[in-house]
Amino acid sequence: MENSAIEKSSYWSDFEKIIFRFLFIYLLLQALPLDWKYWRHVFTVDWLHPTLTDLFNVSRYTPQLFSIYNSGDYWGLNTFVDWAILAATALIGTVGWSFFDRRTPRNYDRWYYFLRVILRYRLALGVIAYGFLKLFPLQSPAPTLSDLNTPYGDLSSWKIFSLSLGVAPSFESFLGLVEIIAGLLLLYRKTVFVGTFILLSFTGNVFLSNLAYEGGEAVYSLYLIQFALVLLAYDAPRLYTLLTLERTAVPVRFKPKYQTKYGVIGRKVLKVGFLLLFVVLYGQKAFDQYQAGGYQLPTASGLLKEGFYDVSSFVYDGKELDYGDENNVRWQNVVIEKWPTLSIQTRTRLKPAMHPVEVISRDDADRTYEFAGNGARRYYRCEKSNNGELALIALQTQNKLTKFSFTEVQASDSTVQLIGQDNTGKAINIHLRKIDKKYLLEEAKKVGRRSQLIL
Amino acid sequence: MDSPIISPIHSSVLEGTSQSTSDFSGHAWNKGRKFGFRLLFLFFVLMSIPWNVRWYTDLFAIDWTSLHYRDLYDIARFQPSFPTLGKWLPEWYGYADWIIVLLFAFVGALLWTVIDKKTQNYRKWYYWLMVIARYRAGIGIIGFAFTKVLPVQMPYPSEGILNTNFGDLTQQKIYWLSIGIVPWYQVFAGIVELLAGSLLFFRKTTFYGAALLVGALGSITFVNFAYDGGVHIYASYFVLFGLFILSYYVPDIYRLMILEQVTIPQYYYPNFQETWQYVVRIGLKATVLILFLGVLFYVQLLNFWYDPYKQPSSPGIAKLRGYYQVEEFYLNGKLLPFNPNDSLRWQDLTFEKWSSLTFKVNRAQALDLSNGGGNPIRDIDRTFEIAGVGGGRRVYHYYADTTTQTLYLEDKNTATAHFPAGKRRRGADYPNRQEAKQTAVEDVYPADWISSTAWQHIGNEDHMIDPRGTTARRSRDFAKTSLPIIRNKMILHYTTDNDGSSVILEGLDESRDSIKVVLKRQDRAYILTRSTLDAGSYDRKK
Repeated sequence: MENSAIEKSSYWSDFEKIIFRFLFIYLLLQALPLDWKYWRHVFTVDWLHPTLTDLFNVSRYTPQLFSIYNSGDYWGLNTFVDWAILAATALIGTVGWSFFDRRTPRNYDRWYYFLRVILRYRLALGVIAYGFLKLFPLQSPAPTLSDLNTPYGDLSSWKIFSLSLGVAPSFESFLGLVEIIAGLLLLYRKTVFVGTFILLSFTGNVFLSNLAYEGGEAVYSLYLIQFALVLLAYDAPRLYTLLTLERTAVPVRFKPKYQTKYGVIGRKVLKVGFLLLFVVLYGQKAFDQYQAGGYQLPTASGLLKEGFYDVSSFVYDGKELDYGDENNVRWQNVVIEKWPTLSIQTRTRLKPAMHPVEVISRDDADRTYEFAGNGARRYYRCEKSNNGELALIALQTQNKLTKFSFTEVQASDSTVQLIGQDNTGKAINIHLRKIDKKYLLEEAKKVGRRSQLIL
Repeated sequence: MDSPIISPIHSSVLEGTSQSTSDFSGHAWNKGRKFGFRLLFLFFVLMSIPWNVRWYTDLFAIDWTSLHYRDLYDIARFQPSFPTLGKWLPEWYGYADWIIVLLFAFVGALLWTVIDKKTQNYRKWYYWLMVIARYRAGIGIIGFAFTKVLPVQMPYPSEGILNTNFGDLTQQKIYWLSIGIVPWYQVFAGIVELLAGSLLFFRKTTFYGAALLVGALGSITFVNFAYDGGVHIYASYFVLFGLFILSYYVPDIYRLMILEQVTIPQYYYPNFQETWQYVVRIGLKATVLILFLGVLFYVQLLNFWYDPYKQPSSPGIAKLRGYYQVEEFYLNGKLLPFNPNDSLRWQDLTFEKWSSLTFKVNRAQALDLSNGGGNPIRDIDRTFEIAGVGGGRRVYHYYADTTTQTLYLEDKNTATAHFPAGKRRRGADYPNRQEAKQTAVEDVYPADWISSTAWQHIGNEDHMIDPRGTTARRSRDFAKTSLPIIRNKMILHYTTDNDGSSVILEGLDESRDSIKVVLKRQDRAYILTRSTLDAGSYDRKK
């Protein structure tokens, strides 16, 4: 049956009003984009040609009083200081509001409704933006050749989490789909309870995964969870009455009455605009990015032939070093990626670079995903300089072997000879031999686990 | 029509929107609905009955005075399986058994329709069907839950696995390990399952239990498809039960939330008037709660502490633990210099904290692609550390004669094992079900390769764990003879300095060639951080 707009106010006790005032101010301060730093960012976006990065960053607003936008401690513990200040502000606001508002009757149902609208859209935006990064498996790409050649114990737990998701893109897509569907359910008043129920389970799991795997987005997921909890609190009592108390349950039929036709049109425009911008356009951009090779890994093409190479000879400062070299200068093996990255395994390990927060970088040079959380391999960017030299520039700041430059590069189908010097000026002559390595991960996928496999 | 509003959120009640009364007791169901119910009733009852004779023999073989967690787990774990009938059907991703049940239910429902002309509705039957479904799903999922609540289902990676490259693991292994590295998260996943199951035991919380069950197991089903995990059927079994239970509440929720009508729940409950009925109900319920929430927790805790079922439980030699670099390797007296590509030389050796020695050789071997699960009792059959692991890693179980400092080693990878001449092999004995091209051979080691004196020194494996972890099931298994297969074997004598940082292994390898291995322990600092929650006890003083 069709429900007409109903604006009959219900009874609110004084206590409920006070709680509501506090939550109203606190949640609006959290959810509404009031932070000027955010707007400075929004105005730098070319809105005629927005990129996935732009839209993603727009989706991810959180009030940042004490931290610099996109800094390392973004969503760190200092975020809770921000939250405490917002709560304190809300407390002062509540006292003021309660003092001045004793006489005038207010329609709290109406206010509650609009608070919920804002929270619904804020939450939907947050989860849909992340959902598309999983639906088109961008967030966790398939492991690189270097990852496949890294001992399990030399990966950070966060990296293992991401790689483990990356080996099953269908599962990643499924997770993204769940997130998007739940987000869309929030946009329709009557299905909000289904959407929040799914999201509380989903985002609750994301929150705990971030804690367990030392990811950087525990705070952001908590930020979204608080909105979901407030949304569920609205419907929970009714469902509890019906399902647990097994008593007659009364629906809520409050719908705001728009005074003018502009209100009705405005509502439609905002809703359709949201869908066009953050579902249709954003989805399209995410798909384009997926087609273009994602955003976690560089997309330029490499300078040498991709593959896993054994270092069959390593002449350092005129002396041939054998595999068992104790000085740990010798390279053990080399991976040349499809893009201009080369990774080396020596016998010593590194403290790995971390990669806590999801960042969508437009330029290859800013993409840190491939070496983040890897402590066994040294990553280098390959560059060809004007005089024809091949330079390897270390990507990890912890790597002391910062640079190699090769004046002579001789490559055949299965070998590469590199002659040049390291960053201390010592002459090196390296011979690489390509190994046609078969990976169990790939081979078992082809034949299935119930077959005989010799590797 | 007006009722007390429990909710702090207020709404104004409008008159004239009461729900229809078609569901009230006594009202007749139409033919289609009655047939549908008969079909569902038979389907879910057949799905809730253990069809395997083994389930019953196992049940009666349980020694209740010395319980093993698996005794109760096996009661909770069953699903319809008709191997003889299933042969005639296509595989349907393994769902053929469900189709068979559905066919039986369909035939049954037809007969029922012919016989039963009188019944107006099945409200009462529906209630009892819900009881069956709730308890079947609840008990089943709790059996699973405790192996996560006390995290043993996905063990923390062994040192051997920590030194195996990411690409040298199967997808299934990668997923299992990704949970194994975060035991506290595994506990959380277990609690979700435990909560889902427990909520199903009570009528007033059934809805929440079913919703959790569908969410959690739906995700696990997908994981099993995506990672080739192999338990997608059993996981989706719970999704099916959960959806069925949820469907009971859907009409009311739809009416309240979507149609926005005042909703009066009309749940049928049996009225127990006789005392005995009341006693039986409480008695049965209490038995389930005590057995599957109390006793199962306790025996699972003992398993977690002393005998975690997926990792070997006997402690390894205390001195010989850790990651070792192979400094020198002699084969038949000849030194092989270190070269990662050498197909004979050992590299990357680990002594686990339990009774395993692992090392890497750059030579292909047949791999164990199973998930390393099941119900192994002997350490040599606990294959999680080798199942789904490639990269040339060899994992050997050892019995240690500490008096003569001799290790008697056997390859844990049964895919490399041979089959003794004159014996019929059963597919179930091997992890890879497909026929492996294995020829019958004679063992290069004699049958008494471990002398009786050595056995006296080694002792009884059954008693190598903490006495608090011993169970009747464990002892019963040790009393049986082990699988008739010929594994790779080695006999190595070890000498070591005081703290075990330098070790020399000398003896015969799997081809009875003489080897000498000089080892030096490395301070191997892994990036992966170890959790505070760690299964098993391997540092027991003798």
